[in-house]
Amino acid sequence: MDLITGFKKKAQANPRVIVYPEGENGTILSAASSILKEGIAKPVLVGKKAEIEKAAGEKAVDISAVTLIEPEKSEKLEKYARLYCEDKDNISLPIAKRLVKKPLFFASMMVSCGDADGMVGGIAHATANVLQVCGLAIGYEQGISAPSSFFIMLVPDDTGYREIIFADCAVNINPSAEQLAGIAIASGENARNLLGVEPRIAMLSFSTKGSASHELIDKVTLATAIAKEKAPHLKIDGELQADAALVPKVAAKKVKDSDVAGRANVLVFPDLNSGNIAYKLVQYLAGSKALGPILQGFQKPVNDLSRGASVEDVVGVTAITVVSAQGRKTTQ
Amino acid sequence: MADSVTDKVKKVVSRQLKVEESLINPDSDFVKDLGADSLKSVELVAAFEEEFDIEMDEEAALNVRTVGKAIEHIEKSMKEQGKSGADPQ
Repeated sequence: MDLITGFKKKAQANPRVIVYPEGENGTILSAASSILKEGIAKPVLVGKKAEIEKAAGEKAVDISAVTLIEPEKSEKLEKYARLYCEDKDNISLPIAKRLVKKPLFFASMMVSCGDADGMVGGIAHATANVLQVCGLAIGYEQGISAPSSFFIMLVPDDTGYREIIFADCAVNINPSAEQLAGIAIASGENARNLLGVEPRIAMLSFSTKGSASHELIDKVTLATAIAKEKAPHLKIDGELQADAALVPKVAAKKVKDSDVAGRANVLVFPDLNSGNIAYKLVQYLAGSKALGPILQGFQKPVNDLSRGASVEDVVGVTAITVVSAQGRKTTQ
Repeated sequence: MADSVTDKVKKVVSRQLKVEESLINPDSDFVKDLGADSLKSVELVAAFEEEFDIEMDEEAALNVRTVGKAIEHIEKSMKEQGKSGADPQ
C-alpha cells in the first residue's frame, strides 16, 4: 500500500472537518466532492455561495451535501472579528472585520476557533500569503517562532522504499539557531504523528561532532543544544554529516554514544540552499518520491497547495491534514 | 479641512506600525525603514481598506514596498472604486 493510500485509509477511520478558503476554484470543488464521497474528510467550502454554485454547475460537480460558508453573511464574522482584535491595541473592530471577511482569513479563524480541524488552501494564493494569514489567525506552536515545512522522501531500497523526513526544504531561507531548533522539533513530532515512527533527528552539517570548525557549524551545534533542551523527550543529535547520520558503519567510526547517528529518519538541513538542493538530488538521482512540502509549526494543521495542484493532489494533502488533526487534541 | 490621502496614509502607518508620523515619508520602505514584517503588512492592508473604504487586491498590495507606492496604489483603487480622495471622514 503506498503512503497516500495509507493516509486516506487512516483519514477515513476518523474523518475531520477540513475548510477550503478557495471554494470557487474548480479543482477544489471536484476534490471536495470526492473527499466527501470517499469519507476522507468533512469538507467546508468558503467563498461566495452564488459563485461556488455557479462553478459547480459549470463543472457538473455535485456539491449539494458540502457545507458552504460565505464570510460576509456568516453569523461567525462578528465573533471572529471580536476575538481577533481582543488583545491588539492597534486593531479596531472594523479593521478586524475587514481582515476576517477575507476567505483565507475566515477559514484560518475557523480552524483557530475549533470550528474546523484543519485548512487546505493556497491554490489561488501565494504561499507567503497563506503563511502570513495563518501566522496571524492561528499562531505558532509553543516554542516555535517561524513556520517551516518538510518533505516525506520515499527512498528506494531492498525492501521497496524507506521513508525519511527532510526539513526545511521550502520555506526558511537562512533560519537562526533558534528557528532551526524549532524546525527539528516540529519535524520530529510530525514523523511520529504522520509516519508512526520513533523519530531520530539528525542536525546536518559538513562536520561530525567537531571534526571541523566554522561559524556555519556553530549555528547547527547551538540549534542542537536548544532543541535538546526544549524537547528532551526527542532523540536529537548533531552536528552530523549525512553519512554519519544515515550509515551505521560510518556512524560507528565517527560518533560515540548516539541513538541517532547511523539510524536517522529525520534530516534537518542548516539552510534552504542545502535542504532544497538535497531533496531535489535525492528525488532525481535516487529516483525517490518527494511528498510535500507539508507545512508545520502552526498551532493547528494547515497545508498549502501549489497553484498547479490536481484534484488528486488536493485529496492527498487533505488526507495528510486529517491525519495530522487526528494526532492532536481537539479544541471543541 | 479634510486630510489628504497622504496625511491619512501616514496616520494609518503610524498607528499600525507604531512609528512617529514625522519619520514617515514617501520614500520610507515599510520593511527596512518602518519595521513592518510580513504579518504586520497583512493588517496594514486591512487598515488602509477601512480608512479609505476600498477593497484592495491583497497580493498586489503586499508587493508594495514604500509609502509613496502605497499612496499611488490607494489612489488608484479609490478612483476605480468611485471613492473621492477629498471626502471628509
